[in-house]
Amino acid sequence: MSHLLELEGVSKRFGGVQAVVDVDLYADSGEIVGVIGPNGAGKTTLFNVVTGFYAPDAGKMTFDGHNISGLKPNALTRLGMARTFQAVRLFNAMTVLENAMVGRHTRTRAGVWGALTRNRRTREEEAQITEEARKALSFFGNRLIGREDSLASDLAYADRRRLEIARAMVTGPKLLLLDEPAAGMNPAEKEELITQIGRLRDEYGYAIVLIEHDMPVIKGVCDRVAALDHGVKIAEGTYDEVASNTQVIEAYLGKAAAAQREGLA
Amino acid sequence: MTSVETAARSYRVLLERLPVRRIILVILSLVIAYGVIAGTVATLQTGRFTAEDWVDLFVAGVARGSVYAIIALGYTLVYGILFIINFAHGEVFMSGTFTAFFVAHALADQGLLNTYPVPALILLFVVSALVSMSIAVILERVAYRPLRGAPRLVPLITAIGASLFLQYTFRGFYGAQAKAYPNIDILQGNVPVAGFTIQRAQILVVAGAIILWLALYLVIERTRIGRAMRAVGEDREIAALMGIDVDRTIVSTFAIGGALAGAAGILFVQLFNSVFFFMGFFPGIKAFTAAVLGGIGSITGAALGGLVLGILEAVGPILFLTGIGVPSPNQLQPVVSFGILVLVLIFRPGGILGAPEEKRA
Amino acid sequence: MRRLPRYVRVGLLGGFIIIYLTAVGMIAAFHERNIITGVVQFSVVLMTLVYMAAGYLAARAPKGGSPPLRPTRDALIAGAVGGVLVGVFVILMTVLADAGYTPRDMFIAITPATLDILSFDQGTYLSLPVQAVLGAVLGLAGGYLSTATPNVRSTVTRAISATLIGALGAPLFSVMMAGLGIPSRWLFRSEGLTIVGTVFVVGVTLLLRWYLLRAGGVRNALDRVPGVTRKNVNVVTWAVVGVVLAVLPWIVNTFVSDVLGTVGLYILLGLGLNIVVGYAGLLDLGYVAFYAVGAYSVAVLTARSSFLVGADVTNLAPDGFMNFWVAIPLTIVIAVIIGVLIGAPVLRLRGDYLAIVTLGFGEIIRTLVLSDWLKPYLGGPQGITEIPSVPVGPFNARDPRILYYLILGFVLVSYFVSTRLKYARIGRAWAAMREDEDVAEGMGISVIKYKILAFVMGAAVGCLGGAFFAAKLSVANPGSFTLLVSINVLAVVVLGGMGSIPGVVVGSLVLVGLPELLREFGEFRLHIYGIILVAIMVFKPEGLFPDARRARELRGEATVKEPVPALAGAAE
Repeated sequence: MSHLLELEGVSKRFGGVQAVVDVDLYADSGEIVGVIGPNGAGKTTLFNVVTGFYAPDAGKMTFDGHNISGLKPNALTRLGMARTFQAVRLFNAMTVLENAMVGRHTRTRAGVWGALTRNRRTREEEAQITEEARKALSFFGNRLIGREDSLASDLAYADRRRLEIARAMVTGPKLLLLDEPAAGMNPAEKEELITQIGRLRDEYGYAIVLIEHDMPVIKGVCDRVAALDHGVKIAEGTYDEVASNTQVIEAYLGKAAAAQREGLA
Repeated sequence: MTSVETAARSYRVLLERLPVRRIILVILSLVIAYGVIAGTVATLQTGRFTAEDWVDLFVAGVARGSVYAIIALGYTLVYGILFIINFAHGEVFMSGTFTAFFVAHALADQGLLNTYPVPALILLFVVSALVSMSIAVILERVAYRPLRGAPRLVPLITAIGASLFLQYTFRGFYGAQAKAYPNIDILQGNVPVAGFTIQRAQILVVAGAIILWLALYLVIERTRIGRAMRAVGEDREIAALMGIDVDRTIVSTFAIGGALAGAAGILFVQLFNSVFFFMGFFPGIKAFTAAVLGGIGSITGAALGGLVLGILEAVGPILFLTGIGVPSPNQLQPVVSFGILVLVLIFRPGGILGAPEEKRA
Repeated sequence: MRRLPRYVRVGLLGGFIIIYLTAVGMIAAFHERNIITGVVQFSVVLMTLVYMAAGYLAARAPKGGSPPLRPTRDALIAGAVGGVLVGVFVILMTVLADAGYTPRDMFIAITPATLDILSFDQGTYLSLPVQAVLGAVLGLAGGYLSTATPNVRSTVTRAISATLIGALGAPLFSVMMAGLGIPSRWLFRSEGLTIVGTVFVVGVTLLLRWYLLRAGGVRNALDRVPGVTRKNVNVVTWAVVGVVLAVLPWIVNTFVSDVLGTVGLYILLGLGLNIVVGYAGLLDLGYVAFYAVGAYSVAVLTARSSFLVGADVTNLAPDGFMNFWVAIPLTIVIAVIIGVLIGAPVLRLRGDYLAIVTLGFGEIIRTLVLSDWLKPYLGGPQGITEIPSVPVGPFNARDPRILYYLILGFVLVSYFVSTRLKYARIGRAWAAMREDEDVAEGMGISVIKYKILAFVMGAAVGCLGGAFFAAKLSVANPGSFTLLVSINVLAVVVLGGMGSIPGVVVGSLVLVGLPELLREFGEFRLHIYGIILVAIMVFKPEGLFPDARRARELRGEATVKEPVPALAGAAE
């Protein structure tokens, strides 16, 4: 059986810049794949290509047995893909609960008629949406629950990141793409996040792909790590394999520093 | 999951991939292209218009387009720096021109307008530009500055309010009737150019517009204030950190745009000999259309957009519509100009000179 | 150049404002309007308010500054400076006129009669002392208000506002009192308050204020009454509103009923545009297009003069070619089709581009109906006439009162629809899309589908408004479908508070109802309208009756909100 998400030779170019070059990557249910790389390595662009925000210039992408290149983000969400954003992007004028409820959009159907008549089906559906949303919020203990009616813009930074994950969970995904979920968190919050991402894999069985700069987080949660540099995948394997890869060290520290480090070793 | 469900889902996925929009656009463009070509051919076959007629229309379009281009610069400058549509810019244009009317009138009464036409014209340009500039600066101070950081619709509504306010202020000042701008004798009549005759006023207008555009270009590219304007448009906070006085730069932008609008007004009245309080409205909208057409934020785009719009407006309705039996096609001018705008934006959302957008802005 | 002291600047600004009011002709025009009949005219009230405001501001701490050391003196000087400026202006104009440069050749409103008003008929050269003293006294009063206790201040402002409302509303109130059979001669005369009336209005205001102060507010006063709970206060309030709405046309004259119909029409249009702009965040400047489509569709479908009525059709029903109620669904179908045709290609455009394109569509529709080309079908500049009225059983809907009820009914339905949509899955999808289009799409919302849905629903409501408009006036002509209509409706939505449903009602009352009732402002209606738009947007950008959440967000985030950058890291 093929993988849940499978990329083959995916490329993306902006004008003269090759942002993603011929990248192969896969992810399966119940597995956490880390994507690392220095700033500007093309990680977020890769996410944007996978989630349909950009159309790839070349390459094959399949998800859950469907060819997904050229599909729009909303279609992908319906297929079971959900993501968070590097710069937290919540619906600021909506409440915490409403933010989460929006996530349920593709799994529900009420239309104009339902909204106007508020018939039994619509009411049941609303109740179910609320329940799903609360369930996702309660995943973060009492961090979000109890604040359902606050505006999203009033939340503390780490809670805003958590709400983004909760919102993604509500969509009922098979694959979760997290773009730097630990950015801006303090060490204690990162610890908590590491456990939670692990639980997302173990309890929910999601496949998770995450971009992260924070190496302890990558080390703490990832089953497999891929490293990008200048849009090219330069290494893939366990954390230790990738972390000791010369090319990766070079990418992060520059050639001279890498050589120096090698000399020291 | 049952196989039926899977099949249904695959079907939906397939539907998602169908580029509905692109198909509609291609059909749309084919229909329009066919209509335009058929109309043009039919019009030309009627033989009702001579080559001379077409040249006349074309030159009139260029002259009118030059005026649009100069007014459009004001929209483009403000948009490039503040990202708001200064909807009241048409009224800025009106204010200077309307005020300069009284100077022109006085000069004509004394006979100075025809005895010293060049200094008189320069005086008119200066008065009109100064008045428009002051109005633009006051406008910025009262209506826009308190709203920096408000949601984008808010300054738009203020602009509409300011627009009404300015129209009715000048109506209150100078009255509701249209006034005939005094003619300058040396600008009357035609000159032969390459076998065709062209009105003198049109030559003045085009030349004036070129000079104004070049002057602005030099200001933007070569001067300190131009650099500051570009920097503030790029990133306001960083510009402020670099020691640029953002408020002053924004005021200068409005001042320059206003002065250009005032000057354009004097060109405008050479073509359309009358002034009244509502005169700013349509040129304002047309100029904004021109700015968007060319690619808002770009001063070359404003010039290009103005010319394209002016020419299409003058030539288009007659050329495309006469042949297919539309009576008085010139009435449909707005349909042609806005139709062009819509088409350009559909295919090139950034305007003619704007970069075609990658997926989304 | 050293800056002048603040009180001088404030005074000069006040003086300039009075000169401005003179130059645009307001002072002269409003001198005809009595406030207290035979004693105070509206022009004098305007001057008074300007001088008092100058004094008030001069005695206040500037924004972010410290309060003045001698507020009373500053207020006095500010008023006096303004007065001197006005006086100098009057003298200057007289001198110019005497020297043969007539100011009114340029500024048509600066006539000798106007200058006499400014000098209170004391002769032009005395205007300087007269205005200076007036300014000083009123400036002092304004300064006193600003240093007085909040209690005194609000009592005085309320007394003044009550007098102004009483006087400006005199024509309306006397009609209403007549409708209820109450004599009003003692209260109002010549469109103003009588002296007795003024004393009465001020007295009632003060008494009410005194009583409420003692009782500690309306709520507490009501709580004190035995047997009254919050809940039945609400019920009673709604019942009163309902009864008032129901009987309103019968206690006012037909003109006011007609105005109420117009207000209702704008509420209807506002609710429609609110879906587009307020819910979905689409900037539509061409809403008039749908209004026109509605009006012309009904016209073509129902009028006797319609081109659909062939010459051979002689046996027409008395109410026209097609019954209004049959035409309405057809009209809505037409609106939906046009909405999709316009919306589908352009709704992807960014906000400002969408604004100009929709504006373009509005103009295109207006041009088309005006053109000779479509004249055989749409009647060109004359439009389509003889549109039958709405048949409502045995009643004649040409009567503004019947139309009022019809429109009220449709407003209530739209109100209900708007509310239901807002708090449903669709409403959330729109809100998400408005907040962040990319993320909404990432959460599974088909942005283009929901944009078209909003656009089309707005179109349908706009069309309905147009249909009623045509039936109300019995004509549809291009003159009624200018950009100003789009602007009016947009202003109604934004002024009330975007996305806020009660806001639309408040917006229509303020922007449509007031100007219609204050007819005597005539040529200044749009002028004042412009001022109000700017003022409200500058001082209350969230609108008069904002959606609670959005107001919270706007107040919470005072920081500059830049346009959202493209997907973060796009250039990686």
